[in-house]
Amino acid sequence: MLTRRGFVAGATATGALAATGGFPAIAASTITIGAVQPFSGGLELFGNQAKLGLDLAVKEINAAGGIMGHKVEVKYEDNKTDPKTSVERTTSLIRRDKVLALSGPITSSARDAMAPTVKRLKTPLLYATNYEGGACDRYLFSFNTVPNQELEKLLPAMQERAGTSYYMFGADYVWPQKMFEAAEKIVDGMGGKTVGKEFTPWGVKEFAPVVRRIKDSGAKVLVFALPGADGITFVKQAEDLGLLKDVTVAFLGFAETYLGAFGAGKGQNMWVTVPFAASSDEPGVKDFVARIRAEAGDGVPISHYVMTHYNSMMALKGALEKAGKVDKEALIDGLEGLAFDTPTGSAAIGAADHHVTMNMYLAKTEGDGLKIVEPLGRLAPKAGCG
Amino acid sequence: MADALITVLDASNYVLILMLVALGLAIVFGLMNVINMAHGEFMMLGAYTVLTVERAGGTYWLGLVAAPLVVGAVGLLVEEVVIRRIYHRFLDTILATWGLSLLFKQAIVLLFGPGSFSVTTPMDLSVDILGTPYPAFRLFIMAVAVATVAFTFWLFFRTRFGLAARGVIANRDMASCLGIDTRRLDRLTFAYGAALAGLAGAVMAPMISLDPQMGLGYLVPAFLAILVGGLGSIAGPLAGAAAVGATDNLTATFFSPVWAQLVVFVTAIVVIRVLPRGLVAARRRES
Repeated sequence: MLTRRGFVAGATATGALAATGGFPAIAASTITIGAVQPFSGGLELFGNQAKLGLDLAVKEINAAGGIMGHKVEVKYEDNKTDPKTSVERTTSLIRRDKVLALSGPITSSARDAMAPTVKRLKTPLLYATNYEGGACDRYLFSFNTVPNQELEKLLPAMQERAGTSYYMFGADYVWPQKMFEAAEKIVDGMGGKTVGKEFTPWGVKEFAPVVRRIKDSGAKVLVFALPGADGITFVKQAEDLGLLKDVTVAFLGFAETYLGAFGAGKGQNMWVTVPFAASSDEPGVKDFVARIRAEAGDGVPISHYVMTHYNSMMALKGALEKAGKVDKEALIDGLEGLAFDTPTGSAAIGAADHHVTMNMYLAKTEGDGLKIVEPLGRLAPKAGCG
Repeated sequence: MADALITVLDASNYVLILMLVALGLAIVFGLMNVINMAHGEFMMLGAYTVLTVERAGGTYWLGLVAAPLVVGAVGLLVEEVVIRRIYHRFLDTILATWGLSLLFKQAIVLLFGPGSFSVTTPMDLSVDILGTPYPAFRLFIMAVAVATVAFTFWLFFRTRFGLAARGVIANRDMASCLGIDTRRLDRLTFAYGAALAGLAGAVMAPMISLDPQMGLGYLVPAFLAILVGGLGSIAGPLAGAAAVGATDNLTATFFSPVWAQLVVFVTAIVVIRVLPRGLVAARRRES
């Protein structure tokens, strides 16, 4: 993976034309996809989840004869969870490795940093992480959810089950702020009341003051958007201080990677909407999970990040085949309006907004897993483009 | 009344945890003049020791005892291999210990993976304080912190070891002339500082997410506590920890965590401007 294939800068400016001498049957060139993902620096978990999905997709595409006879390979670059490094890796992947498209990153800050480069160098970026919306460009595609897809069914479900007063607590950066903006509108719209909204800087280790304030507010629902280790610390302390008995948590940005980190029997009854849950009974999901397990082993959590990154590669295949040729602009034209199959059923890419309409599920944490409560059907994204 | 008491308890809780972290750092930084950037990682090692013991089937309490011993031993090794070569190069200690911190973090990633872990709370019960349930484990942490601070004072002010250690700090050459084995004292002092970090990590382990990045969240306020409190004494960092911890916690209680960070840093800047030597100025002269 890290060894650089001898590459030949093609005469055409159409993506990767690395020589693949010994490939039998068809001597077509290889399509290289560049993945800029965090494999160190704090978000390794997510980078590894993305890699699981990308690797499986590439393996299946190649086993089925590639894309129109072209073999596909992914070249991974570690962005060290850092925007500046992301831009450097993006530039070298496009200029040196002549990739057809890019996958990644995880954080919004890295994506926003990469965006000008992919626009200037006219290379599509296939982003597959849930985010705040508003990243709209010919060269950007988003394969995971935007706020409305996560919130518009989750909050009514909370109102029905827990109560009408909401406290919103999250990390102090763009994603929670936009999420809460969207959430407040939904809460107002259904006659609920937002009794508090609060943000915290990263790296706080002591949440007792916040926990007490949420408790005193009398809120029934905690809309929670504090990702990563800080979120786990908060949930642990909220549990110890007895908050989780009084409020029901609507956990935004949840992924199966959190499961197990709360400790046995902890972090129960937290509600989420996700595009995928590994515990689903749907045959497509069961089959997908089995295929990932065959590659990665039993111990690995399989979150929606695995599926959305897998989806992005499958969409790439569908788009190139639809377009009938391998080049960056053809890929974009092919992706626009593309309908494609995913492990959770069919999905469609918006021709104008480049975001994906897909099946969503209402689920909650139970035991040591995520249990689907209700399939929500296909939800269209409100991408926030113009 | 009950509310006020709970607020005071929460604040004392944070202050005491910070004291526990700052104490080890202060002994190494203030007394040995080594800026130990790896102090947070020593904490992390303590927490992971508890995790390892728990996974091997041991109880939390066994882990709590093992953590300071294991991390103290690591400290001893680090002193012997790295730190003793750079006592005279103040700035290089930052670089060397920062390198160590990266090394420890990556070692944990390799051994345990980058994900978060949790340690089961050993006392899953609450004490009723004026009608408000308060987790017993938080009270236990406070007791451990108070006991550790008391023990450290006893060690440095009531034992021959402490007397010799303070002698070496005051005037290394003279102490050495008087027949004190300064190498042995350096080794033990550094190991003791590391062991304190290990203990802090172990007592905190059930309250927070265990991950390779966990050390930083305590290192920053602990350094701040030392700067505010003043170098060169043991009381200084404790006063600093009280000031930083209480300001942070109370601002978070009455306003928000975002304001807390702002207020803490602004207050720290003001204190350092007005009292450049810290809240508790060291009495010793520069040697």
